[in-house]
Amino acid sequence: MTWTIARKEIASNLLSYKFFIVLLLIVLLVATSLFIMHKNYKQRMADYQTIRPKPGEPIALVAPNPLSIFAKGLEDAITRSFEIDLTGVTVRAGQASGNVIYSFFPAPDFLYVVRVVLSLVALLFGFDQVSREREQGTLKLLLGSSVSRAKVLAGKWIGNFLSLSVPFLLVTLLGAAVLFLDPDVHFSSGRLGRLGLILALSLLYLGFFLSLGMLVSALTRRAATSIIVLLFIWALFVFIIPNLGTLAARQFVSVPSVRALSEKRQQTWTREVVVSIKDGAWGDHFRAISSENDKLDNDYRLRFERLVRLSRDINRISPAASLLDAASEVAGTGIGEESRIKGEVVRYKDSIIDKLIADQGSGKRDVQYPAFTYAPRPLAEIFAGGALFDTAWLVFFNILSFTLAYVAFVRYDVR
Amino acid sequence: MMKTLIAKEIRTNILSFRFLASFVILFVVVAVTALVLAGDYTKKLDEYSQRQAEIDSYLRSYAHFNRIQNVLQATQPPIPFQALVRGLTADVNMGEFDDDPLPVMFPLIDLTFIVTILVSLIALILSYDAVCGEKEDGTLKLMLANGLARSKIILAKFAGGVLTLLGPFLVSVAAGMLIILLHPRVNWSGADWGALGLIVVGAVLYISVFYLIGVLISSVHKASSSSIMTSLFVWVLLVLVIPNLSPYVASFFARAPSRIKVSRETSRLTDVDRDDLGRKLEREYRAEVLKQYPVLATRLSEAEVKRRVAEDPEYRKAYEEDRAAGQKAWDDANRIQNAKAKVLTDDLHQKEKAQTELARSISMASPLADFSYLATDMSSTGIRNILHFGQLSELWDHAFGDYATRKMADMKAKDPTADLSNTPIDMTDAPRFRYTEEGLGGRVKAAMPPFAVLLGYCVVLFAAAYVAFIRYDAR
Repeated sequence: MTWTIARKEIASNLLSYKFFIVLLLIVLLVATSLFIMHKNYKQRMADYQTIRPKPGEPIALVAPNPLSIFAKGLEDAITRSFEIDLTGVTVRAGQASGNVIYSFFPAPDFLYVVRVVLSLVALLFGFDQVSREREQGTLKLLLGSSVSRAKVLAGKWIGNFLSLSVPFLLVTLLGAAVLFLDPDVHFSSGRLGRLGLILALSLLYLGFFLSLGMLVSALTRRAATSIIVLLFIWALFVFIIPNLGTLAARQFVSVPSVRALSEKRQQTWTREVVVSIKDGAWGDHFRAISSENDKLDNDYRLRFERLVRLSRDINRISPAASLLDAASEVAGTGIGEESRIKGEVVRYKDSIIDKLIADQGSGKRDVQYPAFTYAPRPLAEIFAGGALFDTAWLVFFNILSFTLAYVAFVRYDVR
Repeated sequence: MMKTLIAKEIRTNILSFRFLASFVILFVVVAVTALVLAGDYTKKLDEYSQRQAEIDSYLRSYAHFNRIQNVLQATQPPIPFQALVRGLTADVNMGEFDDDPLPVMFPLIDLTFIVTILVSLIALILSYDAVCGEKEDGTLKLMLANGLARSKIILAKFAGGVLTLLGPFLVSVAAGMLIILLHPRVNWSGADWGALGLIVVGAVLYISVFYLIGVLISSVHKASSSSIMTSLFVWVLLVLVIPNLSPYVASFFARAPSRIKVSRETSRLTDVDRDDLGRKLEREYRAEVLKQYPVLATRLSEAEVKRRVAEDPEYRKAYEEDRAAGQKAWDDANRIQNAKAKVLTDDLHQKEKAQTELARSISMASPLADFSYLATDMSSTGIRNILHFGQLSELWDHAFGDYATRKMADMKAKDPTADLSNTPIDMTDAPRFRYTEEGLGGRVKAAMPPFAVLLGYCVVLFAAAYVAFIRYDAR
């Protein structure tokens, strides 16, 4: 019986104007987003080829990550060029920092489309499930034929979930297949698995919004009321909680600003150089700069990690933040990855700084230094570091909203 | 008659559930945002004054001319308007090792965001069934049967709707203003209040655009259930997609060279290459001087040099010539290498500027981008302010350069053998960078184009809604 209802839902969806709009939206957005981010990736790849360090140059640079086509995250920060010199690490940022318009609007990657637009679409599938059938009088008929309410609800959920996820998956997989045709975009099997995980997380996320839509629909008498309530909940979950949450976390954890840190570094540097000119022991002073910067960095890292933890905990009230965190970490473009690469860069600097100071002191030029190597965090570490919790949290949101929808539907007055 | 129609529009809206829900949400979100942002602003203010104090104490112990420009950099202080509009003030700083990635993942929420996302959504929610809802209720027939002109009805729909929306919006903004007024440490100037007034005017236009979009869509649809779908579709494209795509699309059409490559090349030109050239020129220039003054050939200890400079005018002249030659060598090296670097950076900046302008033009197709530019430029937190800040810091750079030349000349007069750049010196009288916001006039000028686009949208959309309504089948 559940399956019959699901099939009926799919059939009625297929013919509706809503489905047409939704399909248009999915095709248009997923395709555009993949196309644009793919071109952007190729551009960054071309840039990477021209700035790749020559063998022996003390430069830490990571190649662009093809998964950033799907989840851009902090890719621009991760693929900066970290150049080791006497004074520590000199950072050069890529093209995105040259165009201020980038910082006005978030990147329109696949994850953004899912998180912002497709969540809205999922709500559109759910918002009138119960109230519309009541308004049309078909709910009475349906329940009159002695189907249990649980089965009706499950059938509706399955039918609508399929109507949403099948076109979504088709378009995404088609887009991904086109990407794979490009020889420049190399997906290893590990990355393919990660892409699969991101898709699974996206489906969980969309499933939650569908159940949420059905829940609100079962709590309201009219579909028009239900959509308004849902749009506000959507704005709250997708925009307001995550964005206000990070600001709120900053009120509790005090983290020095980027400017403050860079000013401190400049002060250390100029001070040590001035003193070294006086006493001549400049090698010692450059070593002092390096260790003082490391101290500054360690202290900052500890505080910043506390801030990230707190803001994550606040933001998790919203499943949109959970999805963003988990999916970007899985893609290797998340906050955890960025802070790990910075730690690795510091370690790399510490491993060669003594030699660098000695070589500069003796006036040697074109010295060969060991290359920087970086392996992205393995999945196990990512999941242990929070992605597992986020996934479980999304599952929990799904179960909770579906259960509540069931309770509300059982108590629903069909008249 | 218009009055009756508008009054009816307002009354039906005010009594509806969607109006009440919008009111509550908007009020709470604006108030919470203003509170959080005001708290954030005072925190930033404290940090800023602490940083200035640290620089002062540094200057007292280690002031010298060689690298002091690194410590004495022009920095943007927090401005009071940040308690409502954040714009581009997020501390991301990709050029620094300790960048702050959080604002990239979770953009900050502020009044601009509330207006662009939340209020536009509310406007659509109130207007998506303006015409087709009346048709479904059967009241449209009655109205038209009473001999009311369709132009009057559509105008009343628009005016009544926007007026109802303004109520919750203005009350919420007033709540934000009250928080700012009562906050002991957020002090707004008259210009700030004026700018806020103009931002509110812009917001009214922005709201009108989305209300009109709703009216237009509702008068091409028969059923409100399909009208809301189309409305949301259009909203998603205008608000969530076009602005975000614009910088990427622009980067495909207006290419810029790799920033990292240019930056590496210029730093090599002005560092290692400069040193090589400087040393070479110094050798050449000083060899010339040595030919003229053979007395310099004998190497003397530092104390001996000091003594002879003081006692022997002939030696002093030779010594000064020699130093001048050394100085000239390095000045020449700097000039030549800086000119080479400038060619590269100028090219980069010009291309990046072209790209930014293209991105801005493309994004201005979206009312969201228009309002964002308008609000950030009016509040000195946008692109305009970046340029303004650049001008101020350039002026200050020149002032500091003059100061340094004067001070070094004094030093040299006192002791010709002094190491001008690395000798500790009292810099308490040095000109310090002072940031002042741009006057309201310039900001208004910058906000004019987006303002005009919004106004143009309103006119076009109203005309379109009118035409669509004239052709609407009321049955």
